[in-house]
Parts: sequence; structure tokens; C-alpha cells
Amino acid sequence: MEKLEQVLDRLVAGVQTALRGDGAAVRLLNGDGRHLVLGAASGLAAGREGTERVPLEGCPLDEEALAGAPVVVVDARDDKRAACVPEQCRAAVCVSLVHSGEPVGTLHVYGKKPGSFDEDDVASLVALGDLGAAAIASARAANAREKLEASKAHFVRVTTHELRSPVTVAQSLVRGVLKGYAGELSEKQMDVFTRVAGRLDHLENLVNDLLSLAAGRAPELAEKEGPVMLRASVGRAVLLFQPRADDKGVSLRQETCCEGLVIWGTEEGLDSVFSNLVSNAVKYTPSGGRVLVTMRATGDEVVVQVADTGIGIPAEAIPHLFEEFYRAPNAKAADEAGTGLGLAIVRDLVERYSGTIDVDSEEGKGSTFTVTLPIYRFDG
Amino acid sequence: MPKILVIEDDADMVAALRMPLEANGYEIVAAATGEEGLKKAKESKPDLIILDVMMETATAGFQVSLELRSRDPKSEYADCRDIPILMLTAIHTTTSLRFGPDEAYLPVDDFVDKPIDPDVLVEKMERLLERSK
Repeated sequence: MEKLEQVLDRLVAGVQTALRGDGAAVRLLNGDGRHLVLGAASGLAAGREGTERVPLEGCPLDEEALAGAPVVVVDARDDKRAACVPEQCRAAVCVSLVHSGEPVGTLHVYGKKPGSFDEDDVASLVALGDLGAAAIASARAANAREKLEASKAHFVRVTTHELRSPVTVAQSLVRGVLKGYAGELSEKQMDVFTRVAGRLDHLENLVNDLLSLAAGRAPELAEKEGPVMLRASVGRAVLLFQPRADDKGVSLRQETCCEGLVIWGTEEGLDSVFSNLVSNAVKYTPSGGRVLVTMRATGDEVVVQVADTGIGIPAEAIPHLFEEFYRAPNAKAADEAGTGLGLAIVRDLVERYSGTIDVDSEEGKGSTFTVTLPIYRFDG
Repeated sequence: MPKILVIEDDADMVAALRMPLEANGYEIVAAATGEEGLKKAKESKPDLIILDVMMETATAGFQVSLELRSRDPKSEYADCRDIPILMLTAIHTTTSLRFGPDEAYLPVDDFVDKPIDPDVLVEKMERLLERSK
């Protein structure tokens, strides 16, 4: 998504070129709608205007354009409205930028020669203004979304850190009791404390997943990114869940390839992607089933697949699978302890590393998750 | 009876630690701040120190371990340098921080993740106490 500054720079450059002008500028209305601030300027307009906000009354061209029709200055020397036209320029056209009925700002083009612009030029500027206003609105919305995501992630990170501490203390206390360190337990007490421990473990998983999710979205994480060995990360995930698969009687196998293949990301992040996928595959595959992890490099990309012969995903659940806290009904029935955050974490991380994730599944037959990541090459 | 100094600011966590420690017959000295912990390490000469990583501020536990292991011959904790330190951490699994005497990252002898599994805790303590005999 383009940043607002980039959108504005491209707009003025585009306007100056398209209308063969000698300068162009875009000014944005501020929140109160009574002041203008320079958004971007090119050519002879560049560097001329300050970045401070100016009252609308001081800009007759803008005021008139915002009132409705485009304003054409044939020769600045004979035109009282032309105070803001750059010194070396004589001609100007100013149109309003309006998006969804709301004025956003004004767009100016300047020419050195008097009468530089004809009716066609005015029509072109109006059209470019409409496009520009839409682009500005969309960049602003994206900006606001990004800010919201970042502050949400920050909030989640802070609160979960606060939550994690009391949960782990409670778990430690209950574990001590369950292991008999606070005296012998009756059968009934044992049952109660086992239930408490189960709930606390679930809460801990939830808090840890929320932390991972928030961490994955933290803008500062990008600084930690670097080249990571893909095969080692996939191998660690398989190794980590091998005991659980063995206990369950699920065959967990990895077909390795791609030695030395590197992708851009963080080791923790990549480990989290494959651990989540392999863990899910083992969790939702009944005894006697198979989980197969394969990798193949094709051109600039590497494809990692985690395929299982498990309970599968109902077709109606697939569109929601990567949403936070969503859990497919058959997954909920099979495992109470899931948090519904694992796949949201995976999707966030994969997208962060410029990859994609897809799922192919049939209920009752199994699921295949496919992660595609760009291969990082040291020579660029 | 081995004497264990528990440096931990959370009274409930101290209660959780007391259970397996008392059951195994260890004598417990508790300190609720890093400062108090350093003072008690000097005074009571424990056989082992259990140190919480996240006390008060996120770095208090680290600072205590650095003080106790100071190579400065004039350090007031020079006598404590060989006391094994077992660090309690909630962050080992969620960060890439590395622990252990060989790695020069943090001068502790071992760590136990929170939530505490009492059997793991006792096993690690026994190993460290055996080694330092």
C-alpha cells in the first residue's frame, strides 16, 4: 500500500507531465476544513511554498475552486486571485479534490507563459483531481488502519505480559499440589485440581498465542529479520512433534530437499509457522493416519506442504480458517484446548515474509497446507 | 540440610517453590528484591540460589546474577561467586535469549521455565548441588 506522501508526489509529477506545465502542487484541507497545508509540489512550485498551514481566506484560488468550478488564471499579472502562483509563472489552473462528496484539498498546475492551459487541459486536471482524491482517501484509510493495527498489537502485547505472570504462578502452585508436595490428595481433590490445571494450561496457551500474534504484527520486528535456513526450521518442527505423533500412532514423515536454501524472515517466526502447521496436522489426525511434510524449490520460490489424512476441514469453514479465534466445528469437537489463533499467527508471518498460504481439504479425508515463500539470494 | 536462597518478588511464586523444596528437606531463605537477595547471599552463604529473572524491572534478575558472578577481586560478593544459580524465567520459550555459563550470555548455571514443574525444579537443583560439592 502506497504511503500518502508517495501518492501526493506521484500526483503532482503526473499532473505537471500530463498538462506540460512548469509546476504543480497539491494542498490538503486540514481537519477543521478552514486551513490548507502543502501536500506536495513539483517543478517551479517545489520549495516555494512553506509547510505551515494557511487559512483558506488567504488563498482565493483554492477558496473559489473548493466552492465548485475549476479556476483558470490566464495571466497572473492581471489577476488578483493569483497571489499563490509561483513568481516565474503566469498561468494557473486550480481544481478541488473531492472524494465521496467531501472536499479533500486542491490541485494546482502552473505555466510560465500566459494562457498556457486550454479547456482540454482544465478537463484533464479535473479528471486527474478525481483520481487523486480517491488515491489520497485510500492512502489515508490505509494509514489509519496501520496505526490501529499497531496500537492493537501493542495493547495485546502489554496486557498479555501482565496476564501471563499470574497464570504461570497459578499453574506452578497447582502443579505442586497435584504432584503431592502439599500433602496427599483424595481422589475427588485430585479430580478438581486436574480440571483447574487443564483450564490454566489452556489459558497459558491462549496468552502465549496472543503474544505471538501481537509480536508478529509489531512493526519493530522487521529489524530482526534476516536470512534463515528453511530446511532446519522445518526439521525442528517435525522433530518437536515426533514424540507426540509416535504416542498417538500417527506416522510423521519429512521428505527433505533444499539444503542451504534461505528465506528472509526470523528464525523464531519461521519456526512458529511450521510448528503450528505440523502441530495441527498431528493433533487432527487420528491414530493410524499419516502426516507428510514435503518441500520443493521452483524458480524463485520454495513450496512447503504439510499434508495429513486427518479429520479435514468442512468446506464452509475454509474461508474463516485464518481468522483470529475461529475454530472449525469438527476441530472444536476434537480438541478443547485449541485457541483458534495458530493459523492467524501463521498467515501473519507468512505474509510478513512476502509469502502465501493455501489450504486444500476435504472433511473426513485430510488437509494439505501449502506455504509458498520467496527464496532469498545473497547476490540480490 | 542444603540452604536455598529464593530471590523472587512474587509471594505466590515463593509459595509454589516452597512446596517441593520443603518436601525435599531444604532450608529456605527468601528475598523479595534484588537488593535484599544480594544482602542475604552474602550473609547466609546459601548452597544454591533460585533467582527470578523478571523481578521489579525486567533486568533486576540479570543484574543480581552479574553482581554475584563479578570477576572483580574487590567485589563485595567475591565469596558468592561459586554459589550455583538457577534462574526462573518466563521468557526462555518466547524469546531467543540464551542462558548458561558456557555461552557467556548470562552467568547462571541453569534455568527453569515458568510455569514451574516441581519435579524438573528439584531435579535441576539436585544436579547443581551435586556438582558444586
